[in-house]
Amino acid sequence: MSSNALITDLLGVTLKNPVIAASGTFGFGREYAELFDVSRLGGISGKGLTLHGSPGNPGQRIHETPAGLMNSIGLENPGAERFVRTEAPYMRSLGCAVLANLGGHSEEEYTEGARLLNDADIDILELNISCPNVTAGGMAFGMDPACAAGVTAKVKAVSRHPLLVKLSPNAPDIVSVARACEDAGADGLSLVNTFLGMAIDIDRKRPVFENVYAGLSGPAIMPIALRMVHQAAHSVRIPVVGMGGIASWRDALCFLMAGATAVQVGSMTFAEPSAMLTIIDGLAAYCEQERLANINEIRGIV
Amino acid sequence: MAVILENERITEGIYRMRLSGAPAGRAGQFVMLRQKGALDPFLGRPVSLFDADRETGGITLVYQAAGRGTALFSKLLPGQEMDAQGPYGNGFPLLPGDAVLIGGGIGSAPLYLLLKELRAAEPGRQIEVYLGFREEAYLREEFAALADTARVNIGGYVTGDVDFTQNAAYYACGPVPMLRAAAAAAAAADARLYVSLERRMACGAGACLGCSIPTASGNRRVCKDGPVFPYREVRDVL
Repeated sequence: MSSNALITDLLGVTLKNPVIAASGTFGFGREYAELFDVSRLGGISGKGLTLHGSPGNPGQRIHETPAGLMNSIGLENPGAERFVRTEAPYMRSLGCAVLANLGGHSEEEYTEGARLLNDADIDILELNISCPNVTAGGMAFGMDPACAAGVTAKVKAVSRHPLLVKLSPNAPDIVSVARACEDAGADGLSLVNTFLGMAIDIDRKRPVFENVYAGLSGPAIMPIALRMVHQAAHSVRIPVVGMGGIASWRDALCFLMAGATAVQVGSMTFAEPSAMLTIIDGLAAYCEQERLANINEIRGIV
Repeated sequence: MAVILENERITEGIYRMRLSGAPAGRAGQFVMLRQKGALDPFLGRPVSLFDADRETGGITLVYQAAGRGTALFSKLLPGQEMDAQGPYGNGFPLLPGDAVLIGGGIGSAPLYLLLKELRAAEPGRQIEVYLGFREEAYLREEFAALADTARVNIGGYVTGDVDFTQNAAYYACGPVPMLRAAAAAAAAADARLYVSLERRMACGAGACLGCSIPTASGNRRVCKDGPVFPYREVRDVL
């Protein structure tokens, strides 16, 4: 009963368990496949892609904070085309669900990227709408319900894959963005991306990051992420994938109880590469102890 | 499970930690070290191997208490469980023939295991060691016991002591200005120089891309593609 109890349906895709490696923290699975049995994961969301690829940001990219870290990687990635050719087939060979994560700086970039990814053997397309929209003055797509809905609808129209839209916690009203994406045709939502933060190097009297602001993740953000997932899950009818600072199976269970269908784990993998396996084992043991036939029995009970 | 056997101060701000049950590795490789289960500090700290014993599965690290994480390490007592992920990184290539090792401050630490490996692979080779320290020398006796010559420079520029025109492989680890000077001297003498770099890392395993650097052949990850590079590849960041 223990292993079957975690089987999860996400957008019509069967996951062995509801634990997915978060985009940007797991590459395309190659590095961690050397370190532990990644086939035990529910899924892997690959490094965020852009249409043409990117060398990423210059300067310092990582800064540790209390119980967390800030990053300014800048979507260093090989581009959608190379992903389709070399990374997607590799990810498919790993034995868990494959999510491709796509960003863009204009609606055209998103739809072009999504079209290319139609040729990839993936299970779910996760849309990162936290990128700045160059044609709309640089404000991130995910900040505004209309902007988020616009790109969601355009990508939904061209993509053959189930569409998971990844929300930014920096939106003034994340529930409105969640509803707008649902109305625009998203099959599911994932949240939260990183919180925009800032760090200052007091010795050099300047910001730590060349981009000044950077994304905060890790256990420090968990209570806020949990609140947002709870709000979103209670505001839409489509499945929600919860993430933000999950470090233990208890944390993962909180998100499931708050209404998440599945969870993603990111920063904790940096600290402990096999953290997700510990989380999966913990959830399985919990189901057994609570005599749950399936983890679904506790989903959204809070 | 890694457990601290010994964690002692060897000079001001410098500590030696011996761990049992930690994965041994090669010279130039490192472990991501953190207190087991701790969420704050959150990330492991990359610490290079000073010594490794493949038979007992123990490693020795020499580290500097520089920031909050390493300062906390310095207060840990024997018996404390540690998370020592790794070993990560490519390590130093063991080139045949004579060798010159150049260390700056705490960058000297990984050169000790390199010295041991070079000596074991080819006992008769000439190995010169040059160590530079700002104020106080440490590890001098350990190096002197195995090297043909081990010279220490305090307060000056250690690269200035090195003759880069010998038919030898050159290995350097230390602060960026020292590596830059070594690279300039190696370029002038057309010497074979390998440098070990340091960058802030989140994962240490090649996944987070936090330590990406631009090189002559595109972006490279210091943790996974390095930390050891032929100096010509990484001159843009020196």
